[in-house]
Amino acid sequence: MAILDIHQVSLSFGGLKALQNVNLKIEEGTTHALIGPNGAGKSTLLNVLTGMLEPDDGSVMFDGKPLLDVNPWDINQLGIAKVFQTPAIFPEMTVLENVTIPVFAARDGSFRMNMFESSDHQRPLIEFAEEQICELGLKDKMHTRADSLSRGDKRRLEMAICLAHKPRLLLLDEPTAGMARHETEQTIELLNSMKGITKVIVEHDMNVVFSLAEKISVLAQGQIIAEGAPNEIKGHPKVIEAYLGEAQV
Amino acid sequence: MNTQQSFFERNRAVILFAAIALTMPLWFPIIGGYSGLDTKIMIFCIFVVGFDLLLGYTGYLSFGHAAFFGIAAYTTGLMFKGFSDNIIPAIIVAVIVSTSVAVVIGLLTLKRTGIYFSILTLAFGEMFHSMAMAMLQQWTGGENGLTGMPTPMLFGTKMQGDAVFYFSAFMAIVMFYVAKRIERSPVGLMMRAIKCNQQRLEYTGINARKYKLLTFVISAAYAALAGAMMVVYEPFVGHEFLGWHLSGEVVLMSVIGGVGTLVGPMLGAAFMLYFENVLSADIGEHWLLYLGIIFMAVVIFMPGGFMEAMSRLKARFKQQ
Repeated sequence: MAILDIHQVSLSFGGLKALQNVNLKIEEGTTHALIGPNGAGKSTLLNVLTGMLEPDDGSVMFDGKPLLDVNPWDINQLGIAKVFQTPAIFPEMTVLENVTIPVFAARDGSFRMNMFESSDHQRPLIEFAEEQICELGLKDKMHTRADSLSRGDKRRLEMAICLAHKPRLLLLDEPTAGMARHETEQTIELLNSMKGITKVIVEHDMNVVFSLAEKISVLAQGQIIAEGAPNEIKGHPKVIEAYLGEAQV
Repeated sequence: MNTQQSFFERNRAVILFAAIALTMPLWFPIIGGYSGLDTKIMIFCIFVVGFDLLLGYTGYLSFGHAAFFGIAAYTTGLMFKGFSDNIIPAIIVAVIVSTSVAVVIGLLTLKRTGIYFSILTLAFGEMFHSMAMAMLQQWTGGENGLTGMPTPMLFGTKMQGDAVFYFSAFMAIVMFYVAKRIERSPVGLMMRAIKCNQQRLEYTGINARKYKLLTFVISAAYAALAGAMMVVYEPFVGHEFLGWHLSGEVVLMSVIGGVGTLVGPMLGAAFMLYFENVLSADIGEHWLLYLGIIFMAVVIFMPGGFMEAMSRLKARFKQQ
């Protein structure tokens, strides 16, 4: 069953048609890659899914619920989390505090006036946050300020923030951009180990795409021009013309 | 985020503050402070602690908080004149009126961030000031201020001298404790997250707008309480209670003391009031110039204010 159903979505910036009648179904539990040349509309499409951009036309359904005209925080509360191109974390807070935020968001919803509750008395919640941090290999950095982490660790922290809310759909915008080779491999391993979470990944690195994705959709000039399993995409003439030809894979 | 601390450990700052505040009548005269100034310091401690929740935690710099102080002061004065000399209903009504205004102002100004937010709050503050001076003159007394109030009473006690001081000190301690509780709560965590990365917060399922409005209203309630207490301290309300000058002074107090620490702004308030009222007499007519130099020195060399200076000293002692 499709957990995410994007139907006839169009969006223009002035005269530029960033997305044109995009149709896309994401199956639950799969890893789905969006590839395409620069400016194809991949990031724009992700931004539509998180509520950052409103399309001019079309509909997006997540698990049977419409996502358009919904605030970003409500979309997140429905179970969609996003990993940004540049790791988006809370720099002046400790790693533990960073991950405590989504844990409270999961318990309290988007807003609660619990001004007199002591955060550090919520043992089970704090322990859950600690577990998440350990799982992502940041155990030793628990009380380190987030802005002093290395780039790779910042990415892990961001993943921990996203996963602490137990999302059902994880959107990743070039998660390995700017990473060293071994960090990229660790990220692939990490993403592969997260079973049960549906993932939509925008990526330029074809090694990453082919080692993660079960299904690939190719975007070019705001339109989906091909869709299929990785080996189908590799040989697809339209794709070679629009994308792979210039990338030499 | 330490766990399992004793009551004393958790509330060390509050207990220390209480000890300093309650013994103030004993030691304050020794350093040249006069009775009455200590009360004023307590009242401003309330104002700046609330202000710090907004500026230091969420990072929103308001230049219009005098509005909430002033509206509460006028309301308190009018309550004394028209309803009763009992301070309890006067303070409660004043805080409710002023906080309600803050909800509306907050909804309008928090749509913007940074300098635009500051300018909007400044504009609203000035709007209330000119309203008090002209449109509402028959209520506020305009240029002359609101006078002719009876001596405020609390359960049959005249609120004068020591009684006002201890009442103010008690309120300051309670409000500092409340602020510390908020700091430790999930709400406090969200406030700091707003300052760090608002976008990430929204994409983490948190409605940052509501938390910002909540913080704005809380800080306005602190300002309102301080404004009401000011009229209990001295039964007079001047139009300068609503002016940008007062808003600016609160910002200076916070910055000199160290924003985002709660304690720092209180130190800043005590220092500024002491400087203005005691040291100014020793220094002479150029005291404002010296205050300006101190302010600049702090911003340039110690952006964390007195609190940064203290933690640096502490670190140095530990090294030796």
